[in-house]
Amino acid sequence: MSQYDQMITRERKWMLYLLAIFVLGAAFTPYVRIFLGLLLGGAVSFYNLFLLQKKTQEFAKAAASKDKPRGIGMISRFAAAIIAVMIALRFEEYFHIVAVIIGLMTSYPVIIIEFFLSRKKDRHESGVK
Amino acid sequence: MGILAAAIAVGLGALGAGIGNGLIVGRTVEGIARQPELKGTLQTTMFIGIGLVEALPIIGVVIGFIALAR
Repeated sequence: MSQYDQMITRERKWMLYLLAIFVLGAAFTPYVRIFLGLLLGGAVSFYNLFLLQKKTQEFAKAAASKDKPRGIGMISRFAAAIIAVMIALRFEEYFHIVAVIIGLMTSYPVIIIEFFLSRKKDRHESGVK
Repeated sequence: MGILAAAIAVGLGALGAGIGNGLIVGRTVEGIARQPELKGTLQTTMFIGIGLVEALPIIGVVIGFIALAR
Protein backbone atom coordinates (compact mmCIF):
# COMPACT_ATOMS: atom_id res chain seq x y z
CA MET A 1 0.00 0.00 0.00
CA SER A 2 1.49 3.32 -1.05
CA GLN A 3 1.83 6.35 1.23
CA TYR A 4 -1.06 8.03 -0.59
CA ASP A 5 -3.35 5.02 -0.18
CA GLN A 6 -2.56 4.88 3.54
CA MET A 7 -3.31 8.59 3.86
CA ILE A 8 -6.68 8.43 2.09
CA THR A 9 -7.68 5.38 4.14
CA ARG A 10 -6.91 7.21 7.38
CA GLU A 11 -8.81 10.29 6.22
CA ARG A 12 -11.88 8.23 5.34
CA LYS A 13 -11.65 6.53 8.73
CA TRP A 14 -11.58 9.87 10.57
CA MET A 15 -14.50 11.19 8.52
CA LEU A 16 -16.53 8.08 9.36
CA TYR A 17 -15.74 8.59 13.07
CA LEU A 18 -16.95 12.20 12.83
CA LEU A 19 -20.14 11.14 11.02
CA ALA A 20 -20.74 8.53 13.72
CA ILE A 21 -20.39 11.24 16.40
CA PHE A 22 -22.91 13.41 14.53
CA VAL A 23 -25.37 10.50 14.33
CA LEU A 24 -24.99 9.89 18.07
CA GLY A 25 -25.47 13.61 18.72
CA ALA A 26 -28.64 13.68 16.63
CA ALA A 27 -29.99 10.59 18.38
CA PHE A 28 -29.14 11.28 22.02
CA THR A 29 -28.95 15.06 22.53
CA PRO A 30 -31.69 17.72 22.47
CA TYR A 31 -29.87 19.62 19.66
CA VAL A 32 -31.35 17.46 16.88
CA ARG A 33 -31.56 20.22 14.27
CA ILE A 34 -27.92 21.23 14.70
CA PHE A 35 -26.63 17.67 14.58
CA LEU A 36 -28.78 16.81 11.56
CA GLY A 37 -27.31 19.86 9.82
CA LEU A 38 -23.82 18.76 10.75
CA LEU A 39 -24.63 15.26 9.51
CA LEU A 40 -25.89 16.53 6.15
CA GLY A 41 -22.90 18.81 5.70
CA GLY A 42 -20.50 16.10 6.89
CA ALA A 43 -21.95 13.53 4.47
CA VAL A 44 -21.54 15.91 1.52
CA SER A 45 -18.07 16.82 2.76
CA PHE A 46 -17.19 13.12 2.85
CA TYR A 47 -18.43 12.76 -0.73
CA ASN A 48 -16.30 15.78 -1.72
CA LEU A 49 -13.27 14.27 0.00
CA PHE A 50 -13.83 10.92 -1.72
CA LEU A 51 -14.19 12.64 -5.11
CA LEU A 52 -11.05 14.70 -4.55
CA GLN A 53 -9.03 11.61 -3.56
CA LYS A 54 -10.29 9.63 -6.57
CA LYS A 55 -9.79 12.43 -9.08
CA THR A 56 -6.30 13.24 -7.77
CA GLN A 57 -5.29 9.59 -8.08
CA GLU A 58 -6.70 9.32 -11.61
CA PHE A 59 -5.06 12.60 -12.60
CA ALA A 60 -1.61 11.57 -11.34
CA LYS A 61 -1.96 8.18 -13.05
CA ALA A 62 -2.87 9.85 -16.36
CA ALA A 63 0.01 12.31 -16.02
CA ALA A 64 2.50 9.51 -15.32
CA SER A 65 1.34 7.38 -18.25
CA LYS A 66 1.23 10.43 -20.58
CA ASP A 67 -2.54 10.03 -21.14
CA LYS A 68 -4.87 12.97 -21.45
CA PRO A 69 -5.99 13.95 -17.90
CA ARG A 70 -9.75 14.39 -17.37
CA GLY A 71 -10.01 17.28 -14.90
CA ILE A 72 -10.12 17.33 -11.12
CA GLY A 73 -13.87 17.64 -10.47
CA MET A 74 -14.03 21.17 -9.08
CA ILE A 75 -17.51 21.88 -10.48
CA SER A 76 -18.86 18.57 -9.12
CA ARG A 77 -17.68 19.49 -5.62
CA PHE A 78 -19.21 22.97 -5.84
CA ALA A 79 -22.46 21.42 -7.08
CA ALA A 80 -22.51 18.92 -4.21
CA ALA A 81 -22.11 21.77 -1.70
CA ILE A 82 -24.95 23.68 -3.39
CA ILE A 83 -27.22 20.60 -3.23
CA ALA A 84 -26.55 20.31 0.51
CA VAL A 85 -27.51 23.96 1.01
CA MET A 86 -30.60 23.54 -1.20
CA ILE A 87 -31.76 20.60 0.93
CA ALA A 88 -31.09 22.58 4.11
CA LEU A 89 -33.04 25.60 2.84
CA ARG A 90 -35.93 23.43 1.60
CA PHE A 91 -36.26 21.50 4.88
CA GLU A 92 -35.34 24.30 7.24
CA GLU A 93 -37.36 22.75 10.10
CA TYR A 94 -34.98 19.76 10.17
CA PHE A 95 -31.57 21.26 9.31
CA HIS A 96 -29.77 24.22 10.87
CA ILE A 97 -28.20 26.11 7.95
CA VAL A 98 -25.08 27.31 9.82
CA ALA A 99 -24.49 23.75 11.02
CA VAL A 100 -24.70 22.53 7.42
CA ILE A 101 -22.00 25.02 6.39
CA ILE A 102 -19.80 24.00 9.34
CA GLY A 103 -20.42 20.36 8.38
CA LEU A 104 -19.35 21.08 4.79
CA MET A 105 -15.99 22.22 6.15
CA THR A 106 -15.35 19.06 8.23
CA SER A 107 -13.07 17.40 5.71
CA TYR A 108 -10.55 20.28 5.66
CA PRO A 109 -9.43 20.03 9.32
CA VAL A 110 -9.25 16.26 8.77
CA ILE A 111 -6.92 16.76 5.77
CA ILE A 112 -4.73 19.29 7.62
CA ILE A 113 -4.49 17.36 10.90
CA GLU A 114 -3.81 14.10 9.05
CA PHE A 115 -1.07 15.80 7.01
CA PHE A 116 0.71 17.16 10.08
CA LEU A 117 0.37 13.88 11.98
CA SER A 118 1.72 11.81 9.08
CA ARG A 119 4.59 14.29 8.55
CA LYS A 120 5.51 14.09 12.22
CA LYS A 121 5.39 10.30 12.06
CA ASP A 122 7.55 10.20 8.90
CA ARG A 123 10.13 12.50 10.50
CA HIS A 124 10.16 10.41 13.65
CA GLU A 125 10.68 7.21 11.60
CA SER A 126 13.47 8.73 9.47
CA GLY A 127 15.20 10.15 12.57
CA VAL A 128 14.95 13.83 11.53
CA LYS A 129 14.21 16.25 14.39
CA MET B 1 -29.24 42.79 -5.32
CA GLY B 2 -29.16 39.17 -4.17
CA ILE B 3 -28.37 37.98 -7.69
CA LEU B 4 -25.50 40.45 -7.95
CA ALA B 5 -24.13 39.37 -4.57
CA ALA B 6 -24.34 35.70 -5.56
CA ALA B 7 -22.68 36.35 -8.91
CA ILE B 8 -19.78 38.27 -7.35
CA ALA B 9 -19.27 35.68 -4.57
CA VAL B 10 -19.36 32.68 -6.90
CA GLY B 11 -17.45 34.36 -9.73
CA LEU B 12 -14.55 35.65 -7.66
CA GLY B 13 -14.42 32.43 -5.65
CA ALA B 14 -14.26 30.34 -8.80
CA LEU B 15 -11.65 32.68 -10.29
CA GLY B 16 -9.40 32.25 -7.25
CA ALA B 17 -9.92 28.51 -7.19
CA GLY B 18 -9.19 28.28 -10.90
CA ILE B 19 -5.91 30.19 -10.64
CA GLY B 20 -4.81 28.27 -7.54
CA ASN B 21 -5.73 24.87 -8.92
CA GLY B 22 -4.11 25.69 -12.24
CA LEU B 23 -0.81 26.54 -10.56
CA ILE B 24 -0.88 23.41 -8.38
CA VAL B 25 -1.92 21.00 -11.12
CA GLY B 26 0.48 22.51 -13.67
CA ARG B 27 3.47 22.12 -11.37
CA THR B 28 2.43 18.60 -10.41
CA VAL B 29 2.14 17.48 -14.02
CA GLU B 30 5.52 19.05 -14.75
CA GLY B 31 7.06 17.24 -11.79
CA ILE B 32 5.52 13.87 -12.64
CA ALA B 33 6.58 14.20 -16.29
CA ARG B 34 10.16 14.86 -15.21
CA GLN B 35 10.36 12.24 -12.46
CA PRO B 36 7.58 9.61 -12.69
CA GLU B 37 9.05 7.76 -9.68
CA LEU B 38 8.00 10.70 -7.45
CA LYS B 39 4.33 10.27 -8.43
CA GLY B 40 3.22 9.24 -4.92
CA THR B 41 4.76 12.21 -3.13
CA LEU B 42 3.63 14.69 -5.76
CA GLN B 43 0.04 13.45 -5.82
CA THR B 44 -0.10 13.70 -2.01
CA THR B 45 1.09 17.31 -2.21
CA MET B 46 -1.37 18.02 -5.01
CA PHE B 47 -4.25 16.51 -3.02
CA ILE B 48 -3.52 18.62 0.06
CA GLY B 49 -2.99 21.75 -2.04
CA ILE B 50 -6.25 21.37 -3.95
CA GLY B 51 -8.10 20.57 -0.72
CA LEU B 52 -6.88 23.75 0.94
CA VAL B 53 -7.36 25.95 -2.13
CA GLU B 54 -10.97 24.84 -2.61
CA ALA B 55 -12.13 25.42 0.97
CA LEU B 56 -12.79 29.13 0.60
CA PRO B 57 -14.47 29.03 -2.87
CA ILE B 58 -16.88 26.38 -1.55
CA ILE B 59 -17.84 28.72 1.31
CA GLY B 60 -18.21 31.51 -1.29
CA VAL B 61 -20.49 29.38 -3.47
CA VAL B 62 -22.59 28.36 -0.47
CA ILE B 63 -22.95 31.94 0.81
CA GLY B 64 -23.74 33.15 -2.72
CA PHE B 65 -26.45 30.55 -3.01
CA ILE B 66 -27.93 31.48 0.37
CA ALA B 67 -27.94 35.16 -0.69
CA LEU B 68 -29.72 34.15 -3.89
CA ALA B 69 -32.31 31.97 -2.18
CA ARG B 70 -33.32 34.41 0.56
